[in-house]
Amino acid sequence: MQSFSIFPFEPPGDVQALRQEVRAFIAAHMPQTAAAGRANCWSVADARFSRSMGEAGYIGMVWPKCYGGHARHPLERYTVLEELLAAGAPVAMHWVADRQSGPLILRYGSEELRQRIVPGIARGETYFCIGMSEPGTGSDLASVRTQGVRTKEGWRINGQKVWTSGAHYSQYMIALVRTGEGSERHGGLTQFLIDMSSPGITVRPILDLVGAHHFNEVFLDDVLVPDSMRLGEEGGGWAQVTAELSLERSGPERYLSSYVLLVEFIRQAGPAPDAATRALIGQFTAELWTLRQMSRSTAAKLAAGQDPMLEAAVVKDLGNSFEQSLPRRILAGIGGLADLSDASELMSVLALLLQISPSFSLRGGTREILRGIIARGLGLR
Amino acid sequence: MMGETQQLLRETADRLFRDLAEERTLDFVRLWQKLDETGFRSLLVAEADGGFGGNFRDVAAVLRLAGQHALAAPLAEAMIATYLLHKAGWPVSDDLVTLAAGSEGRLEGNLFSGTLRAVPWGERAGLVLAEVEGGLILLPRDKATQVTTTANPAGEPRTRLVFANVPALVAPATGDLLLLGAFSRSCLIAGALDGALARSIEYANSRVQFGKPIGKFQAVQQALAVFAEEAAAVNCAAEAAALALDRGDGRFEVACAKIRASSAAAMGVATAHQVHGAIGFTAELGLHHLTRRLTSWSGEFGNERWWAEELGGLVAALGADQLWPEITRRG
Ligand SMILES: Cc1cc2nc3c(=O)[nH]c(=O)nc-3n(C[C@H](O)[C@H](O)[C@H](O)COP(=O)(O)OP(=O)(O)OC[C@H]3O[C@@H](n4cnc5c(N)ncnc54)[C@H](O)[C@@H]3O)c2cc1C
Repeated sequence: MQSFSIFPFEPPGDVQALRQEVRAFIAAHMPQTAAAGRANCWSVADARFSRSMGEAGYIGMVWPKCYGGHARHPLERYTVLEELLAAGAPVAMHWVADRQSGPLILRYGSEELRQRIVPGIARGETYFCIGMSEPGTGSDLASVRTQGVRTKEGWRINGQKVWTSGAHYSQYMIALVRTGEGSERHGGLTQFLIDMSSPGITVRPILDLVGAHHFNEVFLDDVLVPDSMRLGEEGGGWAQVTAELSLERSGPERYLSSYVLLVEFIRQAGPAPDAATRALIGQFTAELWTLRQMSRSTAAKLAAGQDPMLEAAVVKDLGNSFEQSLPRRILAGIGGLADLSDASELMSVLALLLQISPSFSLRGGTREILRGIIARGLGLR
Repeated sequence: MMGETQQLLRETADRLFRDLAEERTLDFVRLWQKLDETGFRSLLVAEADGGFGGNFRDVAAVLRLAGQHALAAPLAEAMIATYLLHKAGWPVSDDLVTLAAGSEGRLEGNLFSGTLRAVPWGERAGLVLAEVEGGLILLPRDKATQVTTTANPAGEPRTRLVFANVPALVAPATGDLLLLGAFSRSCLIAGALDGALARSIEYANSRVQFGKPIGKFQAVQQALAVFAEEAAAVNCAAEAAALALDRGDGRFEVACAKIRASSAAAMGVATAHQVHGAIGFTAELGLHHLTRRLTSWSGEFGNERWWAEELGGLVAALGADQLWPEITRRG
């Protein structure tokens, strides 16, 4: 038994040239912001930047050209993503659509849906939110209660979603809905594409602990959804959502959310820091580098058509632990009298990440749930 | 992808190390003979020079297996020393040649006076390779004036050798000895973590308390999941370091791997013993062959702090905005 073996990361073409191209794009299009504005950047929304990414061909990179995609290799896409994240580019607006909604529609949507919706995603103009969680449904996703009932033309949906990131700027939601009457748990769930401008939808902001408006609660009252907006088989939602979570969990965003802080810490340390600071920088670098190797290896397996579900859970949990622990370890390791109210680049990004990093091991599946998946993979459950 | 010879190499190593793990009382001379018959020590020597013609990935694979079976022999040392001997263009003998991880002393011309510390199986070796200020040196062990052997935490012999004006072969210092020593420890730790993890999972599935296998308790599951994550990280890091060495420059990567391996080793030892309860604390069960080696290896050839300072210094000197370009440039 070997717990993890490297899978070669070999995208076609000249990867270094692609990196240079993305770096030039970032230099030309990314708005100048303070370090704090670049932290956790895949939660930072900027429609203009998303559109310029669409123009440059960086959204829907792997999708077929007939749907506005660019028929690139998944590892080319991975390379572009890690460059954007390392630079702290504001990619939130289109992130969900590019990562999971687009692929879901391409896989399970009708031809008409694909033609109508996917090109807008690739242009960086159409945005999506994820309608999984509900007030009574967090980790236990199979307990979804939002209900869809068949009508003559399609479906009438009633219920409530919560923690819906970006619902206030997304045109669509992909919602997990219980359609099997009297069904329980994994059976009877179906995914729908819901137009957020439909009558009966109410989006209310929920401010996060720093007062930012990132997620929402979404009420669905007699929302009528045509059957053509159903994704996949009726009752097949559970399998789809599990595959979707695999996509959601395996990307480089799962370890890079605090990278900007590391950069500022090294900047502050200067070219010849004391031994304790050098040791800290060395520790962080070793962890970062290892995670990158693991993440790339997992991405390469995915690209080769394997299903590295276990590896993805390992990378996400380790990655989240790294990006979450970085702020507190830096605070503990800063010399002198640290002042977290200081407006300097380092202190403001540190202060922000100290506050928001607890969410890193919640979103996309909590630490405990991921470890449960790993334990199952180990043959313990 | 893996070729046939590579596959054969792994199978041979796996079988032999497994057998040796079952005869822990075997006398060292016999044990070393069995090991050396395989020719593993010339794994990195070109075929043209009578070696195996392997690369660092092969070394990683063999050492992982050595770690997994808690091999009690200076195989890594002999492999690295033989490789460095060839690189320096020095003759190779059948004598056991080992490495000194630490040393102090001075070189005057080719005369060395000083102390080589913690030399693995130093008393058994014919030759010792060390890197001192001024060069890489090869010394005949029997010219040492003081030989003191103690044990590392795994009970393996570590010898302190004192030399006074002893003629040595001298080559320019490259830093390779410590680097490859650290690389070997990362690979051994990777294998030993996998070994200890496998044993822990097996044990958790068979030991019954409160009417069910302890592996059914969520607290135990979560601890083992974290253990698996750490083992995965180290295996990945060690393999990536091997790839970098094969590309020709592994300074950055080996530092990362040794740091990561050393911190994971501590965690792995703690979890393996916690899951095993009292039985794991016995001489008889033999879990300690793995865990005591993990402890030893994490400190050898530069501990976590040593490499972290080294790597941190390198990164700081590059500058904050160069870290990402450097990491991505290196692959
Ligand atoms: C910033 C952010 C953005 C989000 N965006 C979205 C979004 O866009 N769309 C969406 O649908 N959801 C979103 N979520 C919700 C997220 O998916 C949930 O927070 C997550 O699934 C956990 O659910 P919960 O918060 O209800 O916690 P709970 O499930 O109630 O868990 C609370 C605690 O109990 C633990 N726990 C629960 N069950 C078990 C168990 N079986 N064993 C051990 N421990 C357990 C959990 O690990 C956790 O520590 C977002 C969350 C955050 C923080």
